[in-house]
Amino acid sequence: MTINEFQKKLLAEAMETGFKEAEVYYEKSESFRVMIFKGEIDSYETSEEGGLGFRGLYNGKMGYAYTEKIEESSIAFLIDSAKANADVLDEDDGTDIFEGSEIYAGHDFYSEELAQVSILEKIELIKSIERKVFAYDSRIITLDYCMLQDFSEERVMANNKSLSLNEKQNGLIIYISAVVKDGEEMKTGRFGKMTRNFAELDADAIAKEVAEEALSNLGEQSIPTRKYPIIMRHDASASLLAAFTPIFSAENTQMGQSLLKGKVGEKIAADTFTLLDDPSHPDAIAGSNFDGEGVATKKRAIVSCGTLETLLHNRKTAKKDGVETTGHAHKSSYKSTLTIAPLNMYIAPGNRSKEDLIASMEEGVFITDLSGLHSGASTVSGDFSIAATGFHIKDGKIASAVKQMTIAGNFFDYLKDIEEAGSDLKFMPGGYGSPSLVVKELSVTVD
Amino acid sequence: MIKQSIIENVLEAALSTGGDFSEVFIEDKFTNMMELQGGKIEKSISGRDFGIGIRIFSGLQSIYTYTTDFTEEGLVNAAKRAALAIKGGGSGTIHPLRKETFPTIHKISQMPQTVEHARKAAVMKKANEIARNYDARIKQAELRYIDEEQNVLIANSEGKFVEDTRVHSRLSIQATASDGIEMQTGFYAPAAHAGFEFIENLDLNHYAGEAARIAVTMLEADECPSGKFQVIIDNKFGGVIFHEACGHGLEATAVAKNNSVFANRIGEKVASDIVTYIDDGTLPNEWGSLNVDDEGEKTRKNVLIENGILKGYLIDKFNARRMNAETTGSSRRESYRYSPTSRMTNTYIALGKSTPEEIIASTERGIYARYMGGGQVNPATGDYNFAVAEAYLVKDGKIDRPVRGATLIGNGAKTLQLVDMVGNNLAHGAGMCGAMSGSLPVNVGQPMIRVSEITVGGTKGE
Repeated sequence: MTINEFQKKLLAEAMETGFKEAEVYYEKSESFRVMIFKGEIDSYETSEEGGLGFRGLYNGKMGYAYTEKIEESSIAFLIDSAKANADVLDEDDGTDIFEGSEIYAGHDFYSEELAQVSILEKIELIKSIERKVFAYDSRIITLDYCMLQDFSEERVMANNKSLSLNEKQNGLIIYISAVVKDGEEMKTGRFGKMTRNFAELDADAIAKEVAEEALSNLGEQSIPTRKYPIIMRHDASASLLAAFTPIFSAENTQMGQSLLKGKVGEKIAADTFTLLDDPSHPDAIAGSNFDGEGVATKKRAIVSCGTLETLLHNRKTAKKDGVETTGHAHKSSYKSTLTIAPLNMYIAPGNRSKEDLIASMEEGVFITDLSGLHSGASTVSGDFSIAATGFHIKDGKIASAVKQMTIAGNFFDYLKDIEEAGSDLKFMPGGYGSPSLVVKELSVTVD
Repeated sequence: MIKQSIIENVLEAALSTGGDFSEVFIEDKFTNMMELQGGKIEKSISGRDFGIGIRIFSGLQSIYTYTTDFTEEGLVNAAKRAALAIKGGGSGTIHPLRKETFPTIHKISQMPQTVEHARKAAVMKKANEIARNYDARIKQAELRYIDEEQNVLIANSEGKFVEDTRVHSRLSIQATASDGIEMQTGFYAPAAHAGFEFIENLDLNHYAGEAARIAVTMLEADECPSGKFQVIIDNKFGGVIFHEACGHGLEATAVAKNNSVFANRIGEKVASDIVTYIDDGTLPNEWGSLNVDDEGEKTRKNVLIENGILKGYLIDKFNARRMNAETTGSSRRESYRYSPTSRMTNTYIALGKSTPEEIIASTERGIYARYMGGGQVNPATGDYNFAVAEAYLVKDGKIDRPVRGATLIGNGAKTLQLVDMVGNNLAHGAGMCGAMSGSLPVNVGQPMIRVSEITVGGTKGE
C-alpha cells in the first residue's frame, strides 16, 4: 500500500467512523552517518524511515495516534487508538484542525547541491579533518568523537479541510571532540556545525578550531570563588538560552509554570537585549514554512530592547489568551502531540567584536562551554547552577584557563544584567543563536 | 514478526561483500503516554514503532542500517546497500538459526495494552490529589504516565535466534510550590520493568507526597554556600553520581579506545576499600533489567569494582573484538534506530556497614544531598557535575537547614577514592540514561554514602 493510498483511506475512514475533523502528518527521512577513529571508518550507518501521525476531533476532543507500520491493518489501530485517547481527555482541548494560512513564505530548506555530494567525498572530508587535528599538535592524544552525519527529510500534512502542505529539508552535521594531554592534565575541546553548504566546510579551519579549543583549556589555574563579571561566549550563551526557552511558552505561563505570566508589554530584560525568531535565517538550518498545526511561520521579535513583545503561542494557547497564534506549534515528530517551541530563536547582535568585549573588561570570567543544563537549570524558578568551562580575564586579556567551575544565578536577573551584546552572532545546530554577551555578574565557584 | 526465511536471506545479503558477522534486530513496540495538568488529562497518545536494524562487522569496522520498510525486497536491499561499505573483508558464513529459549525472570501480570485508559487516568488523578492537598503552597501538579511493550527478535549469522518482550511502566510526578513570588519544584518518578500492576500498587501517598514535600522544602530553603564540603549522598537515586562519574567510564564504548581513565587498569585499586560497584540486569522487574540484552545475550550480575579493586567492564560484541574480551550481557539500544553498545542496566554500590545516623553524626561541616537531580560527565576526563534536588547543610553531626541551587562538581576517579563511609541501607532509583545508543531505562542505586570532599557550587559564596 503506498503512503498516498494509506493517507486517503485513513482520512476517509476516520470521517465515516465518527471523527468530525482529522489530520494526517507523515515524515519520511534518510540519513547517513560515519564515525572515524585513527584514520579508519569506525562506524557507518544508513537509514530510511517513515512514520505517520494521526489526530482527529472525536466527540469534541482531539485524539492522537501514530504508527511506523504502513499497512492496511494499521488504519483500524490508528482510528481505535485515537478514539480511546480522545475519550480519556477531561475536556475539549480547545483546538480544531486548521484550514490553512492565506500565504506561506516558500523558503527553500533543501539544497540540491548538498544532495549531490557523494558518500566518498563526505568520508574524505571527515577523515582529513581527523588527520589535520592529529597533525596540529602533539598534545592531541585522541579524538573521542569524529562524526559526520547528513539527513534529508520530507514532511507532509493533510487534513479533511483540504489543507495539503509539504516541505523537504536536508542538512549535514559535523561533530568533533578532541582530547589533549599535557603532563597529568587532560582537557577536551568540542566542535559542532550544521550546514546545508558543503563547500563552506574547510578541513583546515575546522581542525584548527577544535584543536585550539582543546589546547586553550590546558594550563588551568584556580581563582577565588566569588562573584565575577562575565562574558558568555556566543555558543555558551545560546545553550543557556535554549535551556530557558520554555519560559517564553504560553503553555507554561497558562499553567503557572513560567514567571513571565502576565508580563507581555513589560520590561523583562536590559535595553541591550532583543530576542528574535526567524524561521528562515540564512545562518540557521532549523527553519520551516509552517508550524506543527500548519500555520504559516514568520520572523518575529519576542523581546525588543528589553520589552516582552509576545509569548510563543500555538492556536490553543492563543485562543485562551485572546491573541493570534504566533505559529509556534511544535510537533517534534509524527509521534508527538503538539507543544510549543521556536524555530531559529536568537539574541540580536551588537556592534563590538568578542575581542573588544574582552579588552574592555578589567577582571572577569569568559565562559566558553556549559554542562549539566538539563538538570542544573530550573525553568520554573529561573535558578541555575551549572558546570562551566572558561578563562580568567585580567586587565583586558585572557590570563589563563580556569579549573572546573560552576556558575550560578537566576535567569530572570541575568536577562536584566546583560550589559552588551557582541557582533559575533552564531547559530548552534539546534537552531538557537547568540552573540557573545557581557553580563554584570554571576556567582563563580572554582574547584 | 518476520518469517525466518526472510531473516536468513537478510543475514546472507548483509555478508555478500565479505563481512564476517551480521545481525538483524526487529522491533515492534506499543506505547501509551498520558499527561495530566491542572487536574485534567490534557494529552493522551498511543502508537506503534516498527522497524528493523541490520548490523554487519568486518574486522574492526561496524556497519549499521535501519529501515521501516518491512518487505523482503526492502530489507534485502537495505542489507546489500549497507554491505557496500565493506571492501575486501573476510568471508562470512551463515549458521542455521536455532531458536533459544530462556526463563522469563521479569514476570508481567497486567500487560499495559490490555488495560483501559480510564484506569491509568484514575491513578494519575489520585496522585494529583495527594500532591495538591499536601500543602496550600502547592499550586500545580503535572503527572505523566507512560507504558511500553517492546517485542524484539534478534538473529545473527552465528545462528542466534532470540525473541523477548520487555514491558516498562512509569509515573512521573512534578509538584510546583509557590509563595506568590518564587516558585520551586519537586519531582519523583517511580518506574519498573513491569506492567500495570506496578502502577496500581504504587504507594502514591509516599511518591506524590515526596514530590510536594521537596517543592515546599525548597521554597523555604536558603541559597547554597559554595566551597569544599564533606558530602553525604542518600540512598536510591543518589547512586546517579557513580553512574555518571564511574559507570560510563567502565563501558567498553569508552574503554576499548582508551578514552576512559579506567582503561587498562584491571586489578588496580581505583576506589576506596569500602567501594564495591555492581551492574546487575537480572534484578527482578527492576527498571534497568532485561531477560536478554539487545544482542540476545542473557543479562547477568557483573562485578565492576570489588573492595576498591577494578574487576571488569561492561562489554558488547563489537568492542569485545577491539578489547579481545568476552561480552557481558550488557549491550543495549533505545530502538532499532541505534546500533547497540555497552551500557549500564541496574548499577549500584553494594551494602556497607554504617548506619545513616552514624554517617550524619560523624559529619562536621557538610552538605546532605537527600535527592539528587541529574548530571553529566565528560567521559574523556571523568569531570562531572550534578544538581542536587533537595540539599541540607550539616553542622556538627546534625542536619541543619535546607539549601537550594547546590551543584556538585568533581572528577569521578578522584571522588571514588574519597568515599569514606558506606551505609547499610541499599536501595535503587529509576532514571533515563542518554548515550551513543540512545536513551535507556536504568536503575542507579546505593546505600547512603559519604565523600570526604566535593566542591559544591552555589549562589551564596564561601
